[in-house]
Amino acid sequence: MRARATMPPDRMPSPARIARAGILAASVLLLTALPAAAQIGAVTVRSPRPFGLFLGDRFDATVEIEAADGFAPQAASLPKPGPLTYWLDLGSVAVAPGPLRDGNRLWRLSLTYQTFYAALDVRRLDIPAFTVTFASEAARSTTSAAAEVPSWPILVSPLREVQPPPVADPTEYMRPESPVPRRDPGPARALAWAFAALGLAGLALLARDRAWWPLHRRPARAFAAAARQVRRLSARSGDESAYRDALLALHRGLDRTDGRRVMGEDLPAFLARHPAYGALAQPLDRFFAASRAAFFGRDPAAARRHWPFPDLVATARRLAAAERAGAPGRAEAAS
Amino acid sequence: MRTRIKPVAAHSIAALWRRARGPVRSGLLVALPLAAAAGAIVCAGLAWRDARANRAIAALEAGTDRAVGAEAPPELLLARIRFLAARERFEEAEPLLAALDRTGSADLRGRAQVSLANARLRQAFAKLEAGQLDPAAPLVGLARQAYRRALTLRPEAWDARFNLDVASRLVRDLPERGRERGEEMPADPKKIWTDIPGQPRGLP
Repeated sequence: MRARATMPPDRMPSPARIARAGILAASVLLLTALPAAAQIGAVTVRSPRPFGLFLGDRFDATVEIEAADGFAPQAASLPKPGPLTYWLDLGSVAVAPGPLRDGNRLWRLSLTYQTFYAALDVRRLDIPAFTVTFASEAARSTTSAAAEVPSWPILVSPLREVQPPPVADPTEYMRPESPVPRRDPGPARALAWAFAALGLAGLALLARDRAWWPLHRRPARAFAAAARQVRRLSARSGDESAYRDALLALHRGLDRTDGRRVMGEDLPAFLARHPAYGALAQPLDRFFAASRAAFFGRDPAAARRHWPFPDLVATARRLAAAERAGAPGRAEAAS
Repeated sequence: MRTRIKPVAAHSIAALWRRARGPVRSGLLVALPLAAAAGAIVCAGLAWRDARANRAIAALEAGTDRAVGAEAPPELLLARIRFLAARERFEEAEPLLAALDRTGSADLRGRAQVSLANARLRQAFAKLEAGQLDPAAPLVGLARQAYRRALTLRPEAWDARFNLDVASRLVRDLPERGRERGEEMPADPKKIWTDIPGQPRGLP
């Protein structure tokens, strides 16, 4: 066990006072040497199995160091992972504070070594000793103490016989290589199928919502079918019969939505029963007016002038959208 | 009057939700199949890449050369490194080794080191068989360094341990002359002894 003390940086002497400071430093050293000797207690090395070690084996060691409370090991003084000797590697170092006992703290160093000694017979080898520096954690203090971890023995064992039987080709002594591990496409493939199934299910839900083929004849999507038909008819919007067919398609959509025939005077009752279409009261009113003019009026062409084909298409599309939005629960309040 | 403000706020949130529900719902319904299709395409691409890598690995193991880029899957890099090492084309294997060190697991990196070490050891055996002791010793040293790296990465590689033992008996480390500390030094060609039964051919 050794101890030493150095000057705190804030008390570093100016050039003019070097001689006096040297004397002062010497006296500080004398004063702190005695308590520092007691700063490090017992150092114990424990290893669960320091024998029967083969070439390439990893083995653990635990070093327990008793140090006065307030002293902590300096990270820079711990042994560095890497090759220690030509036959020994240090794999990892970890340090942890233990319980406090009689003013001393038990510091535990966990070390993992790996031996590369190619033994011909069972052989005793010494793990190299090392020193750990403990420094006081108190503010402004620069007292430090060194804990000597002694070297300790391990027993290494040979992997094979001293004199192997003779072979024609010396490469026959070598162990062959195992095949290259393959990549496993299984998880990615399973995930791809799962995504594909999810996509198809989502597509089915979307088709049901939009009343796409083959779910286009559902009564809950009467306006979707009507909007589709109106869009088809809009291709020949100059045609008088196309306009009338489009009006009829919307009538059919209204009838199928309500489950009964809806005439112009039934509109308020229809809107009360189906509040999802409340926002479309005005276009629906104009639709009934145009329908009356087109089918029963004196001048069918006047209906087209008052409510042109693009308005009809837009109304059909809005009805289909309101149908989709208000489909579950029908909770939308009439505004 | 807090008791009156609260229901109004809750009501407005509910009204907001009622207005937003339709667009949110239809947006989700469109987004779900699109996202799932994208995921399916990506995963199918990954599975296809794995299957293709496996075919290339099988070809390399069968002795057919395949060009392998540095961005290839680690297993394919290992197969190509092994292919090159077995044919003593170590310079070509260097960039692949660097790539494997970046992307591969410790297990695969250890296997690559074993392949290099085995190739070096086979070279050394060939030199010993030809009676060329001096060039054999550095090859054994290279093999031992690679085995040591392999065992650091993969201590469970018992075949590598066995082969390291074989290599170590060809060229012994001698612990004197200040070799107690520090990295393994290159083996001294004068200090060679071998456990090959009988003298290598070509020697008296």
